[in-house]
Amino acid sequence: MADKKVAPGPIVHVAVLEDILNLFRANSLWPMTFGLACCAIEMMAAGASRFDLDRFGAGVFRPSPRQSDVMIVAGTISRKMAPTIVTLWEQMPAPKWCVAMGNCAISGGPFEYDGQYAIVPGAHLIVPVDVYVPGCPPRPEGLIQGLLLLQDKITKGEKRNVLRRFQRGARSAA
Amino acid sequence: MSFDDFKEGLGALLEPSAVRPTDFGKRGYSLEVTAKRDQVEPIARAAREADLFLEAMTAVDFADAFQVIYLYNAFAAGSRAQVRVAVKKGESLPTVSTVYDAALWHEREVFDLFGIPFDNHPDLRRLLLPEDADFHPLRKDFGKVHGVRSTDEIYGEPTA
Amino acid sequence: MASQLPEPIVEQTYYLNMGPQHPSTHGVLRLFLKLDGEYIIEADPIVGYGHRGHEKMAESHLYEQFLPNTSRMDYLSGLLFNHGYVAAVEKMTGIEVPPRAEYIRIICAELNRISSHLLWFGTYIMDLGGFTPFLYAFDDREIILDILDRITGSRLTYSYCRFGGVAKDVDDEFIRATREFIGRLRSRWEDYHNLVTKNVIFIHRTKGVGVINRETAIRFGCTGPVLRGAGVAYDIRRAEPYSVYPELEFEIPTGAAGDAFDRYMVRFQEMEQSLRIIEQALERLPEGPIRGRAPRKVRPRKGDFYFAVESARGAVGFYIVSDGTGYPYRLKVRSPSLSNLQVLTETLSGTLVADTISILGSVDIVVPEIDR
Repeated sequence: MADKKVAPGPIVHVAVLEDILNLFRANSLWPMTFGLACCAIEMMAAGASRFDLDRFGAGVFRPSPRQSDVMIVAGTISRKMAPTIVTLWEQMPAPKWCVAMGNCAISGGPFEYDGQYAIVPGAHLIVPVDVYVPGCPPRPEGLIQGLLLLQDKITKGEKRNVLRRFQRGARSAA
Repeated sequence: MSFDDFKEGLGALLEPSAVRPTDFGKRGYSLEVTAKRDQVEPIARAAREADLFLEAMTAVDFADAFQVIYLYNAFAAGSRAQVRVAVKKGESLPTVSTVYDAALWHEREVFDLFGIPFDNHPDLRRLLLPEDADFHPLRKDFGKVHGVRSTDEIYGEPTA
Repeated sequence: MASQLPEPIVEQTYYLNMGPQHPSTHGVLRLFLKLDGEYIIEADPIVGYGHRGHEKMAESHLYEQFLPNTSRMDYLSGLLFNHGYVAAVEKMTGIEVPPRAEYIRIICAELNRISSHLLWFGTYIMDLGGFTPFLYAFDDREIILDILDRITGSRLTYSYCRFGGVAKDVDDEFIRATREFIGRLRSRWEDYHNLVTKNVIFIHRTKGVGVINRETAIRFGCTGPVLRGAGVAYDIRRAEPYSVYPELEFEIPTGAAGDAFDRYMVRFQEMEQSLRIIEQALERLPEGPIRGRAPRKVRPRKGDFYFAVESARGAVGFYIVSDGTGYPYRLKVRSPSLSNLQVLTETLSGTLVADTISILGSVDIVVPEIDR
């Protein structure tokens, strides 16, 4: 009977703590009200009565970046606005995530053509984006799908999000 | 206080050939005025006396000159007037912001997009582009355009 | 021995920057305020944070290719902008629109106007601090969006009007749903008035606040509810009638004092008038084709043309300079929100910071329409 060699584990176990924290973070993402153009209206509609975002814990739109977790870049990024977006991103405390909502935030959308002088074709050029939600504008269900995908990204899988069963109406995000 | 008063006021300022009535259904305005640079402000005063408002102001870039366009309107049916001024590249226009406060922003926009400066404008800075931009986007030599024409190709014969 | 009087305390002026990101969600507007304590000495709205170059895009895009842009300028009245642009090009090209298409355009335009006013109502009261009307208003608005989604395919940025008519025909389900919605919204007026209009806090925050009188409105070129709140009954639908508005009966509500409360009441009454227009248009909806004969690539006549429609915010003008090709030579969009916002440079001086939100909300601007 050979001795089983057991590698010594870490002295301070933080993985479980990190998992629990991620579970809490994912289910209470507080977005920053950051509507730039048309997608802002669909974001508002997603937070309103029919497509309630509050049932996912994400209905508390914070005006201040210092109190929010996720920045939903909803709308076209103009060159004049780009430094402000970077400032706001840097003002958000970690851990923070970014959702690029709408075609304009993904790639410049309908405004990108070879003579365009006024926009930044994509939020990924100025801030690190975690989830892309396509559409022009995306339906509120699309935004909700994007947020659920972000939740799964944070908890590293839908199965690990034990609170998902309490979010009525949420099917698999993938 | 009406559109007819405005026409009378114009008659006193300009030659009859510069003030042409047009078909409202075909052009969207019923009076077409070609003005010179120094008539811009007196025309604005005449419009203000006649209780018109400055509805819009814009410019068009042609190969030979800019055409700066003022659109005045009254609160009545079919009473829009277009005043057109030719401005050579590099020239400026007098401001009408002493008569209409609306012109403060309209002239800033024209300056921003075309680069036409306005004399005696109290606050001529860019409106839409970033403050440090160094181009005027709606000029025909900037960016991608389909074609450049000269003024008489489009405004040549009055198509009333 | 002369007594030394103490030095007077001099208040320093304080510069406060509101925006371009602030929770009023009117878009990316930056208000640069020079304050003396709580009072505003000077307000400088700085726009341009949503500038996307629509007018430059028009110079290298076909008229058909520019159509989706029109909806994205003022996204809350997308169909109204669509209608204005399409009608302007049709008049320049000589394209006839069949009557059924005209009536459908009017019904959809008025539904769009109601949805824009409902959104304004919800967000205005939310800015003032009441969250509940926002939820009710959006609930009603979702029904309009469902109706429009079924035939246009889009909830917000429509490209439904085409040169010569509309893209898709309406069916009986549309007519039934619209009639049901009219009844439902009419039953809501009392709820809204009980919840908001009679609310003492709301009245204190809007009566006498942000007075824009007739003189000011003329000097700044304001149109829409801002002008009508000041007492001038000027509406493009009556002054320069287009489409089938001459055949429909509706009134133009006006206010008396020009304050925020008057503009609020004007918009409410406009919603009721829009319901009247939709009812009449549904009664008179004729049979027939929904698309007239239009060339595949429109080539308007050479020359210029100005065409105005009444959007939810004021008079929208499309000034098209055409050189006879399929590409516009110059397309200028006269934005009502630009003139309406400019009034604030004068109206905001002397008011309290807390009233700024009330005045800004009552003027109802959409910033991407200013920035184009």
